[in-house]
Amino acid sequence: MTATKPILLAEDDPRDAELALAAMDEEHISDKVVLCHDGAEVLDYLYCRGKFKSRLKGNPAVVFLDLKMPKVNGLEVLRTIKSDLSLRPIPVVMLTSSREEKDLAESYALGANAYVVKPVEFHQFLTAVKELGTFWGLINEPPPERPRSNNQPSY
Amino acid sequence: MLLRTVPSMDTSTHNQPQIPVAPQDEPQAPPAPTPIASLNTWFRSLTIERRILAGFSLVFTGILIISAVSYRNTTVLIANSRLDARSHELLQLLANIEAAMDDAENHHRRYLVTGEVAYLKSFKSLTEQKPSYVKYLKSLTIGVASQEAHVNVLERLIDQQITMETGAIARRDAGGFQAVRRIALEGAAKKELAAIHRIIGEMELEEQEALRRRVGESAYSTTNTVVLLALGALLQLVLLASVYYLIRHDITERRRVANELQHRGELLEAANKELEAFSYSVSHDLRAPLRHIDGYASLLRKAIGDSLNDKAARYLKTLSDSARQMGQLIDDLLVFSRMGRQEMLHTTVNLDQLIQTILYDLRLDLQGREISWTIETLPEVPGDPTMLRQVFVNLISNAIKFTSTRPIAKIAIGADRKTSGEVVVFVRDNGVGFDMQYEAKLFGVFQRLHRAEEFEGTGIGLANVRRIVHRHGGRVWAEGVPDQGATFYVGLPTSRLRT
Repeated sequence: MTATKPILLAEDDPRDAELALAAMDEEHISDKVVLCHDGAEVLDYLYCRGKFKSRLKGNPAVVFLDLKMPKVNGLEVLRTIKSDLSLRPIPVVMLTSSREEKDLAESYALGANAYVVKPVEFHQFLTAVKELGTFWGLINEPPPERPRSNNQPSY
Repeated sequence: MLLRTVPSMDTSTHNQPQIPVAPQDEPQAPPAPTPIASLNTWFRSLTIERRILAGFSLVFTGILIISAVSYRNTTVLIANSRLDARSHELLQLLANIEAAMDDAENHHRRYLVTGEVAYLKSFKSLTEQKPSYVKYLKSLTIGVASQEAHVNVLERLIDQQITMETGAIARRDAGGFQAVRRIALEGAAKKELAAIHRIIGEMELEEQEALRRRVGESAYSTTNTVVLLALGALLQLVLLASVYYLIRHDITERRRVANELQHRGELLEAANKELEAFSYSVSHDLRAPLRHIDGYASLLRKAIGDSLNDKAARYLKTLSDSARQMGQLIDDLLVFSRMGRQEMLHTTVNLDQLIQTILYDLRLDLQGREISWTIETLPEVPGDPTMLRQVFVNLISNAIKFTSTRPIAKIAIGADRKTSGEVVVFVRDNGVGFDMQYEAKLFGVFQRLHRAEEFEGTGIGLANVRRIVHRHGGRVWAEGVPDQGATFYVGLPTSRLRT
């Protein structure tokens, strides 16, 4: 099951995205990655709307969320995911530059599953992203998907 | 300029012995300050409390003076009124005496003429009153020399009148009416009675004069008192008004300062918030480009692969190193900024345990190093554990770093409590040390005493140490000898800092 599920990467910075994809590529999982450029796109993907209207149904294996993003920021996306019964089981990993205590505290309070500070050093960044991708995308067993009659949000 | 001054000085020195007054007259240019002006400058030099005190002292002195003068004037008025009463009594008494003496003369004459015993009795009872009259008279004139003299004369005249009259009565009793026939018509003491009238008149005149004089005196004294009271009240009103003005001015000033302080506090708070937002931004946004530099350098290295020559490889490595160094710098700066803003935890820190944990955490960095540790028992101090940990991590890391060139590094950690209220913890090493002339620079931000190639570092560690220790109400200092070693001291208060 896990191998077929996509990895959702929310990253507004194209360079960061390219570096992350380069890291995933080393583990040959880059083709599983779906890249979103802002928080709104992440929500569009999760609720199968907008440009993701015709995508294959089902939740991603993991969502890597940047904190600072245009339109809808990481914490808002996290709040939406964790307050929606059908989305709540999706593991969410905060992947951010911020080491600020209040960001950490708020993320965990909202139900983040992990919080990773992007290392400045590329080698470390590489290792971190590779490990994260391998663990959440391959090793971790995601929650079983309940058959949904409707993919639209219940609100 | 010079030409003009020289001769004038010359003449003055020549003139001085001849006319000693002239040079003294010349330098009269600065006008002597008037007493009021100097009082004014003196008053302005005082603190507000002293000014108010001076004002109240003046008011108090004024009240004292007015009270004293009023008291004196009132005493005079009371004394005068007492004297007036005595004068009126005296005048009354004089009138009585005059009447009595007239009666005595009349009655003795009637007796001489008629031989009626009733007249004799009446005469006798009148003359018997004489001693009491005289006594009363003396008591009323006591202390007034002229009147006393008058009283003496009056007494003698009364005595003479009575003697004359008594003598006539005796002669009538012996020789009958015929013996005193001539006397009876005129009265025995006609001359004396006239003298008595005259002297009583003089006495009355004098007393009335005294009365008039005292009335004038009292009126003057009353006016005096009233004017003084009015002036005094006015002066005190002015003084009190000035004191009120002073106090009010001071209060307004204080209120203004308080408002300004509050305003500045608000500005400071706003600035602090801004700084927080700034450091957040730094933390998030400044790191991304660094990550990209290092990342793309690595990707480039991989893309070129084996065809990369040594020079190009070194360039790429420098690129990565610089990015990493700046990343470290940003991290350290953020810690430094956070240490200044972060809320302090007030608890007790066991320094012994703290040092043990730090050494355990540093053990990986110590691989391949030979270090001889001397660690004394350390006390507990009040403070924030995370912050104090940062202090000793920095100091111990420094000791380890700067002894890296020594075959056997010696690091000692200990404490002494020479002064009460303070624990001084030291970290001593036998490393490269420093020149004492740079001691002041040691704890400044971005201050480094060594080149980057010698020892790496960002120059923030000791600044952070100082900031944390200052927030604990303590102090830091260092001693060092180049190439011998350095000792860093941290003095922490043993009692909790009240904030």
